Amino acid sequence: MKPPPFLLSVTLLFWGWQSDLVLPGALMAVILESALVFRTRWDLSEDDFSKTWSFCSLVLLSAVVYSFTNNEGPSSFATMFDDLSASNQRTATVASARTAAQVIRWLPMIFFPFLAAQTFSTRESIPLTTLSLILQRRWRKAKQLGQPLPPARGFNVGYPYFCAALLSASFHPSEDTSFFWGFCALLMWVLWTQRSRRYGIAVWIVLLAAAGTAGYFGQRSMAGAQAYLTNHLSAQWLANFIRRADDPFQNRTSLGLVGRLKMSDSIVIRLQPETPKNVPAYLREASYRLYRGSTWYSGSSRDYIDSIAEEQPAPSGNWPLLSDKRTASRLNIACYLDGFDKGSPAGLLPLPSGTARLEKLAAYTVDRYAAGSVMAHGPGLVLFDAHYGPGATFDLPSGFGTVTNLRGRRLYEESGLGRFEPHGDWASSNDPPVFVYSYTNEDLAVTPLEAAALDAVVDELKLKGRDQSETLRVLQQFFDNQFKYSMWQSPPRSSNTNQTPLARFLLETRSGHCEYFATATVLLLRRVGIPARYATGYSVHEESGDGYVVRLSDAHAWTLVWDETHKVWNDFDTTPAIWVEAEKKNRSPLRWLKDAWSRFTFEFAKLRNGQGNIRGYLLWIIVPGMVLLLGQIVFRRGRKRRKDKKSDADFLAIWPGLDSDFYQLEKKIAARGVPRSDAEPLNLWLQRVEKSPGMETLREPLRELIKLHYRHRFDPHGLNAAEREKLKAETKRCLELLAQSRSGNS
Amino acid sequence: MNPSAAREVFQKIATNISRVIQGHAAPTRKLLAALASGGHVLLEDFPGTGKTTLAKALARSVDAKFKRVQFTPDLLPSDILGVAIFNQLDQQFHFHEGPIFTNILLADEINRASPRTQSALLEAMGEGQVSVDGERRNLADLFFVIATQNPVEFRGTYPLPEAQMDRFAMQFTLGYVQPADEVAVLTAQANNHPLDALASCVTLADVTALKHTAQNIRISDELKRYVVDLVGATRSANGVQLGASPRASIALMKAAQALALFDGLEFVTPEQIQELAVPVIAHRLVMQPQARFSGLTARGVVEDVVKKIKVPA
Repeated sequence: MKPPPFLLSVTLLFWGWQSDLVLPGALMAVILESALVFRTRWDLSEDDFSKTWSFCSLVLLSAVVYSFTNNEGPSSFATMFDDLSASNQRTATVASARTAAQVIRWLPMIFFPFLAAQTFSTRESIPLTTLSLILQRRWRKAKQLGQPLPPARGFNVGYPYFCAALLSASFHPSEDTSFFWGFCALLMWVLWTQRSRRYGIAVWIVLLAAAGTAGYFGQRSMAGAQAYLTNHLSAQWLANFIRRADDPFQNRTSLGLVGRLKMSDSIVIRLQPETPKNVPAYLREASYRLYRGSTWYSGSSRDYIDSIAEEQPAPSGNWPLLSDKRTASRLNIACYLDGFDKGSPAGLLPLPSGTARLEKLAAYTVDRYAAGSVMAHGPGLVLFDAHYGPGATFDLPSGFGTVTNLRGRRLYEESGLGRFEPHGDWASSNDPPVFVYSYTNEDLAVTPLEAAALDAVVDELKLKGRDQSETLRVLQQFFDNQFKYSMWQSPPRSSNTNQTPLARFLLETRSGHCEYFATATVLLLRRVGIPARYATGYSVHEESGDGYVVRLSDAHAWTLVWDETHKVWNDFDTTPAIWVEAEKKNRSPLRWLKDAWSRFTFEFAKLRNGQGNIRGYLLWIIVPGMVLLLGQIVFRRGRKRRKDKKSDADFLAIWPGLDSDFYQLEKKIAARGVPRSDAEPLNLWLQRVEKSPGMETLREPLRELIKLHYRHRFDPHGLNAAEREKLKAETKRCLELLAQSRSGNS
Repeated sequence: MNPSAAREVFQKIATNISRVIQGHAAPTRKLLAALASGGHVLLEDFPGTGKTTLAKALARSVDAKFKRVQFTPDLLPSDILGVAIFNQLDQQFHFHEGPIFTNILLADEINRASPRTQSALLEAMGEGQVSVDGERRNLADLFFVIATQNPVEFRGTYPLPEAQMDRFAMQFTLGYVQPADEVAVLTAQANNHPLDALASCVTLADVTALKHTAQNIRISDELKRYVVDLVGATRSANGVQLGASPRASIALMKAAQALALFDGLEFVTPEQIQELAVPVIAHRLVMQPQARFSGLTARGVVEDVVKKIKVPA
C-alpha cells in the first residue's frame, strides 16, 4: 500500500513545524519530492536495504546514547544506584523520560535514509526479511536444508513512516491545539484515499467531523486531568520530605542516637593538591551557630546570602569569594553536587579553610552563605581549583544575631544573652505576633538545657579566668585523656532519662563520635566566653595515587574558634585522633572493588559533566563513526560492484560468444512471460517458448538462430565474419517477428 | 570418417536396434554414446525389461564378435579370462582365450559372481588388457562391456563395490515401455523373435572409425568447465558421502562428445551434458546412510545439481 503523493512531505513539514525542526523537515520533504523530478532509480538489492536498516538502527542507538548523556542520564542513574532515595529515583526517571522524548522527536530524521532508499529504488516494497532477523534466520535455514523457502512478504515503508512522523510530532513543546488539527487533517487525507465508495461523501464527512470533535474534547479533558495531577500530586511535593544533610541552614546531628552509626565508605571527594602532600586537614562544608535539641542551626546567618558573580567573560569558571585576599595554595577538588535545589543539582562545596577563590568551576550559580558555606548549582559533578591560605575566611565574624522563633521561648530567655521582641506591625493584625529573639552574640549562645552539664565541666577543669590559648590546651587535653572515641552508644540508664545526650556524654559515658566532641567543645568554649561555631565537613587523610580521596565515612564535625586578635575563625578539633583508626576498622574487605567502581563512575561522570562537555566528546565520536560506517556501506558496495564488473570482464575474456545478439531476443521473450531459468539450456527453453501462445511464427527462425548462436558460443572454431553478420541479422528478424506477433496479439 | 558418415553409422545402428527394441530410443542413444566414447555400460533394471535383448541387438547390428557370460556365484576368473591348458602332444601349455577376448561382451547379472571374478572383469575393462600366467594379452580395439544387474534380488548377490562402479562410464535403466509400444512388442514376437532375423548393418571398422570421430568432436573450455562444475558440485552436495571422481568428468565429456556426434553436431552443446549427467555421474556417488534412509537418492542429488548449476547459454 503506497501513500498518496505529497502526503509524506507534508507530514514531514508538519513534524518540522511541531518539533521546532523546520529546516530538517523541509530538507527531507524536498529530498523526497525530488524523486518526482529526477527519474533516476537505483537497483537496490535486499542486502542494500538490510544495510540501510542497520545503519538507521545504529543511528537510533547513537541518538539514544547521545540524548541520554545529554539529559544527565548517567549521572542521575549513578546517583540513584549509589543512594536509592525517592528524589534520586525521580531524577533518573526524568532523565530517561527526557531521553525517550528527545529520541522520539528525532525518529523521522533517523529513519529517513530508509524511506529515501525505498523512494529512490526501483522497488515498490521492501521484503520483510531485511528488517526481521527471525525471518532472515528462517530463510537461511531453509536455504541450507534445501527446504522450500517461506513466502517472501514485502511492505511499503510509506505508512509506517507516516505513523512514526505523527508520533514524533506529538512530542511537541507547544501547548496550543495546532498539533491536534494538523493531525486530523493528515489523517483525513489518508482516509480520503482509502474511503469506502459505498457511502456518500456527506456521510463520510459527518462521521469524520464527529470523530474529530469527540477527539478534540477528549484530549482537552485529558490535558485538564493531567494538569490537575501535575499541580496536586507533583513529585516535587514528595521530594520535600527528603531533606539532605548538606543543608546550609540546619544540621541534624546523630547526638542521642543509640547503637552503631553506620557509615558508607563510598568515595565522595577526590583531591589533587598542587604540591604533593600539601592538603588541608579539613574540608568544610558548613558551620552552624545555634544548637538546640541535638540540631545545629545557622541562626541569623541564614539571612546573609551573597550571590557570587562569575568573573567575566561569563563562562570563565572563576568565582572570587574574597576578592582582596592573596593565597598561597591551590587544591583541585572533585565532588558531587548530590543535593537538589530549585530543580537542578546543587550542593555545598567542601572547601579548605581560608578559601578565597574558586577556579574552573562549571557551575550555574554560586552562593556564599554567611554561615561559612558555599552552595553551587551546576551539573551533578564539579571539578574545580580552590585557592586558599591562612588568614581571612569568608565566614561572618562573631557578633550579633536575631532568630525568629516562637517555640522554646523560655529556653532562649534563660540563656540570658538576648531578648524576645514582637516583630512587625502585629497589633493591627489578627494573627498572633511573631517574636524575634535578638542575641547580643549568637556565637556565645548556649542552650539552658545543657548549661548545668557544661558548668560542671567548666568547674572540673577550672576553665574560668584562663586565657584563650590556655583554655584550648586544657580542653584538648581533657578530651584526649578522659574521653574515648566510639561509634557505639549504649542506651541510657533508666534512672537518668531526663539527661540530654550531650550531658550524658560529658558527665557519664565520656565516649562518642565527632559530633559529640565538636558540640561539647563549642558549648564549653562559649560557656567561658570564647565565641565558637560548629563546623561540618570532611577530614582528609587517605592518600590515593598522587592525590587524596575522601569517603563518606570521613565526614567529620569540629569546632571553629574565634581569634579576636586576628579576627579569624580557626579550626579546633577535640575528637581524639584515634577516630581515623576506629573508622578504618569498619571498612569492608571488598572496599577495593567499590573503589574501582567509584573510580570508573567518577571518570565517566567527569567525562559527562566535568570541565569538558560530553556533547562535544560524543559528537566527536559518533559523527566520524557514523560517517565511517556510511562510507563503508557505500564504498564496499562500490568496490563490490567494481569487483563484479571485473569478474564479468574476466568472464568475457575467457568465454567466447557472450557478445551474441541472441541475448537481446532472450530478454525480450523473457519479458513476454517465458523467462529462462539459470539451469535451463536454450533448446529446452525453446520448447517452452514454442508452446506459449503467439510464438508459433518464431519457431523455425528461432531454432536456426539458436543453432547459430550455439556455434558462436560453444564451437571452438567459432563463426566467421559472414556468419556473425547472419547471427545479427537473424536476431533482428526474430525481434521483428516478435514485435509483429505482439501487435497481432493486441 | 566425416561427421555425417559417422552420424549415418549411428542412425543405422539405432534403426536396427529399434526393430527389436520398441520405445527405448533414449536408452539406445545412451548406449550408442557409450559405445562411441569407449566406455562400458551397466544396465540396471527389473528382469524382463529387455536388457539382454538390447545388448544382443547392438551386438548383432555390428558385425563384430559377441560373447555372453552368465555370471553365477561359482564363476571363476579363468572362466572369463581364459586358461592355459597343457597339451600332451607337444608337451606345452596353450592359452585358451576366455570370453573376454571379444568385441562386445554381455556380462549378464554381474552381481551374482563373487567379488574375485567381478574384479577380474573390471580390471580388463579398465586397462583394456589382461595378464594371464604372467603374460600380458591385449584385448581387441573395440572392447565394449554391457553388464546387467537386477536390483530386486539381494540373496546370493555380491553388489559391486563403489570403486568398481566407477569403471562403468554409464549406468542407466530401461524402464517399462508405453502400453502401445508393449503391444508392438507382443505383435513382433507373435511368431518368432525379431532378434533372430536381425542382420548386421555396420562393420567393426565403421565402429572403430566412429570412436575416432567422436574423439574429435569439439568441446569448448566453457563447457569443460561446466562439466567440472557439475561433477564438483556432487562432492559438496548434501547427503553425499563420496562425490564423483575426475574419472566421472572425463567420462561425461567423452560421452557428451559422442552424443553430440549422434545429434549431428560438430561440437558439444550444454544439452548433451545435461542429458548424460545422471547416467554418467549418479552411480558413482556414495550416499550417506541417513540420507539414503531419508529417501535421498544419488539420482536425485545429480538432478538437483543440474538444476542448480548455471548452464552456459
